[in-house]
Amino acid sequence: MNKLISIFKKEILDNVRDRRSLFFAVFYGPVLLPLIIAVSMFGSYKQFAIDFEEISELPVINAELAPNLVDFLFKNNIDVITAPDNYEQALRDSDIEVVLKIEQDYGEKLAAGKPAPLTLYSNDADKESGKAARKITTMLNAYERTIDSLRMQTRGIDPDIFNSIAIDEVDVSDGGLAGQMISSLFPFLLIMSMVTGGFYLAIDTTAGERERNSLEPLLSLPIKRELLVFGKYLALVFFITISAVLTVITLSIVFKFMPTEVFAGTLHFDPLTLFIGLLLASPLILLIGSLLMSVAAFTRSTKEAQTYLGILMVLPMAPFFLLQFMNIKSANVIMLMPMMSQYKLLEKAAKNETIESMHLLLSFAGTLGAAALLLMLAFWLYRQDRILQ
Amino acid sequence: MIIAESLSKSFRKKGGKKNERVKAVRDVSFTADNGKITGLLGPNGAGKSTTLRMLATLMHPDTGSASIDGIDVVKQSSQAREKIGFLPHNSGIYPRLTASENISYYASITGMQNNAIDARIKELIEMLDMGDIADRRAEGFSQGQRTKVGLARALVHKPQTLMLDEPTNGLDVMATRNLRKLIKRLADEGHCILFSSHIMQEVAALCDHIAIISEGTIAMADSLGGIRERTRQEDLEDAFVVAIGESLEESA
Repeated sequence: MNKLISIFKKEILDNVRDRRSLFFAVFYGPVLLPLIIAVSMFGSYKQFAIDFEEISELPVINAELAPNLVDFLFKNNIDVITAPDNYEQALRDSDIEVVLKIEQDYGEKLAAGKPAPLTLYSNDADKESGKAARKITTMLNAYERTIDSLRMQTRGIDPDIFNSIAIDEVDVSDGGLAGQMISSLFPFLLIMSMVTGGFYLAIDTTAGERERNSLEPLLSLPIKRELLVFGKYLALVFFITISAVLTVITLSIVFKFMPTEVFAGTLHFDPLTLFIGLLLASPLILLIGSLLMSVAAFTRSTKEAQTYLGILMVLPMAPFFLLQFMNIKSANVIMLMPMMSQYKLLEKAAKNETIESMHLLLSFAGTLGAAALLLMLAFWLYRQDRILQ
Repeated sequence: MIIAESLSKSFRKKGGKKNERVKAVRDVSFTADNGKITGLLGPNGAGKSTTLRMLATLMHPDTGSASIDGIDVVKQSSQAREKIGFLPHNSGIYPRLTASENISYYASITGMQNNAIDARIKELIEMLDMGDIADRRAEGFSQGQRTKVGLARALVHKPQTLMLDEPTNGLDVMATRNLRKLIKRLADEGHCILFSSHIMQEVAALCDHIAIISEGTIAMADSLGGIRERTRQEDLEDAFVVAIGESLEESA
């Protein structure tokens, strides 16, 4: 036991003194990555979501020709202002987002019961302009419908005649595609930080040890190789755990500052849910530890190890994409699959759904089983002659 | 005491076909006594390191057997390791740990208690005269300083048998002389010392007994005087050439 603690303590001390190991374990995965991804997701959300409650200004040319329309827009939180003379250039320069032009014959045609001409100028190269144009078009369509039904009623026609089908869309999924994306974000970031957190320690304690020629004298000491490997494994698991916990803390803070609409109303990312998520995903700490350990033991140099482990970096992304593009039913089989099952469990946790105990059992058993197998593989690799070659 | 009998070891050829194997060690038998310095002398690639690795229980021999103080290195490898101190070439110390931390780590792995560890480290620092580097991180140590730390680590659990793989590689004159002095002292204390080298003069200056290894086989094993007599060469370099079966004219 004392020997095990000595190995554990030495590997921790050695790697805490290695700035690279420390940077990846406590900063890159747990802080930098969640911040970059969360902030950019929030940014793109803001760009595409239209807020009809928000009061905005609309530059209009010849506003005096359409007082009723101006009044309608005003009631819908849009303040009409006079458009600048060089509005086309102003649009190109993104000084204004959109311009509505009321043509000279607008009133005349409207009174005659003909289509009244309006022109909407926007700059499609500018995302903000496109978003503003969509908002105005939606408003104008609503205005058109009111005029349509008024025109029909004055001619004694029931406006419902033109509504031959009544489509009522009910989306029973929780949060839709956006919700799916966001709910995958948590397990993705968590697994990613686990991999990056243990990455350098795994390389340093195995391939690095070999490259420094320190493995040979170490293995000539009176200690069982399995004990040595296990001590290193414990240090690795410790680093991965620190990374995972820090990630949860960062996300607790980041999600606190996110507007609730981002979570589509159905997702819960309060600190408690995040920590429950961490517990649900905890077997992955052991799995990723033994995975990194055996890959690093298999490789002959740190450079080779970096290549292999770099390829492994796509692993946390695999379920993310599989779940995006494949419609996998939440069956028992998925729960047996490491990574996949944690994605599903964490999604359920975020939606406050009850998790079946059978699913929980299968997820833990499948992942811990895989972790044990990979640890056995690491033991085996350390018993081979090639560990020293 | 080390007894090696007909050791052999082959490896898979790197980049070669699946079943192609390289015989690193073909047939190695020799004895190294307690209180004596035995030199394993041979050119690069002769199988010195592989032999030492098998004796240090790091690799299983394909055939043959070896024992350290009567303990079989394959069947009782754990017990055998308690008797061995092993210094690989390049010493293999941890650069981010201090000299003391390096030694202390090995001491704790061998199962020593904390107070015993401190006392032993003090002893070794004095013995190897490394008080000035004890609390410095090993990063940037000179080769001589690294060898000292490596040697202190190898000696930490007071092993009877000491195996040194080309320990004077990269050492300057003074460091080499100091190391020789130390090795002699350890032999005088009764340790069995096995020392591998490809430098003739060094082996001649230090060793009581020399095993010449060439192409994985012990070509000759005797005292320095015995080798000179058997090859009828006064110069050790000539004796070496004759011992490994080359003719003097061709190689000169």
